[in-house]
Amino acid sequence: MTDMVGEIDEIGKLREASAAPASRFRRAGRLADMGSKAGLVVAILAVVAYGALASPVFFTTGNFVNVATSMSIVGIVVVGMTFVLVSGGLADLSVPATIACGAILSLGLQPMLGTVPAFVVAMALASGIGLVNGLLVGYAGINPIIATLGIGTIGLGIVQAAVGGVIVYGTNPASAEFVKGRLLGVPVVVIIFAAIAVAGHYLLSRTFWGRWTLATGGNTSAAEASAVPVRAVKAGAFVITGLVSGISGGLLGLTLQSARPLVGTGYEFSAITAVVVGGVSIMGGFGSVPRAIAGLVFVQLLTNVMALQGVRTPVQGLVLGALIAGAVGLDAVLRKRGGG
Amino acid sequence: MTAADRALDMRGITKTFPGVRALSDVDFSVRFGTVHAIVGENGAGKSTLMKILSGSYAPTSGTIHVGGREVHMRRPADAQALGIRMVHQELNLVPDLTVAENVYLGRMPGRWTFLRRGEMIARAGAVLDELGAGIDPRERLGNLSISQQQIVEIAKAYAAEPRIIVLDEPTSSLSEHETAALFRILRRMRDGGIAIVYISHRLKEVLQIADEVTVLRDGSRIETRPVAGITAAEMIRLMVGRDVGNVFPKTATRIGASVLRVEGLGDGVRFGDVSFDVRAGEILGLTGLVGAGRTEVARAIFGLGRIATGAIHVNGARVTIRSPADAVRAGIAYVPEDRKGDGIVPAMSVRENISLPVLRRISRLGRISRSGDRALAARYVERLGISPPDGERRVSLLSGGNQQKTVIAKWLAARPSVLILDEPTRGVDVGAKAEIHHIIGELVAEGMAVVMISSELPEVLGVCDRVVVMRDGLASEPIDRPHLTEERVMELATGEEAA
Repeated sequence: MTDMVGEIDEIGKLREASAAPASRFRRAGRLADMGSKAGLVVAILAVVAYGALASPVFFTTGNFVNVATSMSIVGIVVVGMTFVLVSGGLADLSVPATIACGAILSLGLQPMLGTVPAFVVAMALASGIGLVNGLLVGYAGINPIIATLGIGTIGLGIVQAAVGGVIVYGTNPASAEFVKGRLLGVPVVVIIFAAIAVAGHYLLSRTFWGRWTLATGGNTSAAEASAVPVRAVKAGAFVITGLVSGISGGLLGLTLQSARPLVGTGYEFSAITAVVVGGVSIMGGFGSVPRAIAGLVFVQLLTNVMALQGVRTPVQGLVLGALIAGAVGLDAVLRKRGGG
Repeated sequence: MTAADRALDMRGITKTFPGVRALSDVDFSVRFGTVHAIVGENGAGKSTLMKILSGSYAPTSGTIHVGGREVHMRRPADAQALGIRMVHQELNLVPDLTVAENVYLGRMPGRWTFLRRGEMIARAGAVLDELGAGIDPRERLGNLSISQQQIVEIAKAYAAEPRIIVLDEPTSSLSEHETAALFRILRRMRDGGIAIVYISHRLKEVLQIADEVTVLRDGSRIETRPVAGITAAEMIRLMVGRDVGNVFPKTATRIGASVLRVEGLGDGVRFGDVSFDVRAGEILGLTGLVGAGRTEVARAIFGLGRIATGAIHVNGARVTIRSPADAVRAGIAYVPEDRKGDGIVPAMSVRENISLPVLRRISRLGRISRSGDRALAARYVERLGISPPDGERRVSLLSGGNQQKTVIAKWLAARPSVLILDEPTRGVDVGAKAEIHHIIGELVAEGMAVVMISSELPEVLGVCDRVVVMRDGLASEPIDRPHLTEERVMELATGEEAA
């Protein structure tokens, strides 16, 4: 009868043509993909070349070791943040609190538990913060920005109250020596970062959990209708970020041998910057750990060159802000073109 | 009639799309102060005709006169400027604004940017009073019932002081009582001299409200008549009047034991007390009007919707389904109605889409077996004839028909014992449609049980062994193939006797 279907055939066909899904890869997709990958590598090489010419200090082993070391702490967080963005979870703003939790607990519990157990407990609690985020986002359906902002604020409050708002100091100098030390000439922190990055890459690109994460970010309804446990997958991304932020915080605390509640401030934005500049889609469904790390390397080297050249901090901020805007804009353009 | 009392006169309207002739040589006219209904099956051309009237499409040939003057409309704004207003089936309102703000949305009275709130409320109030709506213009729209919102939508069109109002299925979400209220408003508008075009599948309502009715079929006008002297049965005959030949060849299969049995299923809202069973080697059709609850039943069986009452049995054993994972474990697969929204992950390859529900089966210690993944995709790409036969291609690059085959492939890979297909051929071209029917035929020949939801009657009649018709959330007794006629299904779907 008149509306047995609701749409008539010819309309269906038209709709067919116009309603192509918002994929980044609709047209000339793989080329654009390769282009953006190559673009990042070219950008990194350009920064290295410029730095080598402009500054006598830049192209030295010492400087690279410094950059790699400072990069590693935030890099560990980047691995987790990649999962959050790819799963469609936007961003985790509770990272500063989780880092503080990791740093303060791994130092504060040292006298009672010993170094390694203290570190493990700190990581477990950091994962717990991630789990709360995950439950709120994945199961309760709360906007990730609001949920993680709220949990981060609460978490930081608890940590501050627990230590009385003062600085916690390390009691085991040997642990600091280990973290600051080197293995075969490579700083231990860098090795830990590399191990976490490899594990994260493996999880995202080779396992069913990773495929589920990409599917959930790409089209949550279709993933759910394909028997993917989308709630758990979304929650999982935040648990992973909680865990790695805890590790990051613990390493930071052990390195500094002191931890303030605000020790993690700014790490969330550094991590998000790296992931976005690496071309991981803020809308979910696309991205990889190597991409995010390439973004991180680029941002870190650029910051390093700017610092060596004596570029003032506000200008550095301006450049990074422009980079984020550019990367997000490019993502939007690719999507729009893809949708057409 | 004379040219002067014709609000609208469309002559010889033909519209072709690449490869399709949607309308051929259709005449349609409405006089001021009358209601003219348009009825017809899907694909009859009603929506195309209305899109031409509202300026969304330009006709390939033919002329349109509005108020006796020839017009050429290029965009919806042209139609609005001529005093033509559409009231769509789905509401275009903002729940968080007031009724008055919604009525004047986009045309708020005021000079520069300052809104004259008081005037707007007074004018909206006057319009609502004129319609006898009894709605406070200061009320937040979201606080109103759906039927009141529908009336606000009509008031919005009426406030623009139109000459012609087109209503597309305005009663689809209204109860009988609310429909009566709506009709009072329509009669007032009609008596005020407005020409009303009324599109509905509810023939009883057409008989109540319309002065004239035009029947469209396959893009042509079949009949235009005064409503006085026509019956619902006659209208159905004029609308159907098609030869249901063997467009859908049906192969004989051996029908086995019951695979899926649903007993008294209800979600407490959209459907209730739905019972049917489907046997191995059988295609059970589930049809009915849009909104009858077919998709809701399918989604509930697959764990995507709520189940409040009833039981589901698969292969004789009762199963509890709370999620799609439960359903897949029980051997149920579901190809959803909304392919883009629920079917495919567009940025993923055909291979990644196919293996999505069975990833754990092809993984060891969490790691997906690359060879297993590729082999699975290759097998089903070949089996379903997905074109191009490249598992690595992004699924968004495929045609609609091949995307649909990918979704079906995904579920065949899960090796279900019952496959529920929700409008499997909607929006795919004729060739792909035949291929999908062929695939379904093969599946039942291999002993799978299939539930096919379809609104397209010829498809339902051609493909299914038995048919259950749903109306207002309730399911009919299954009709066996020998007793299956278009008229019988229509009667059950609309609740009106055709003979």
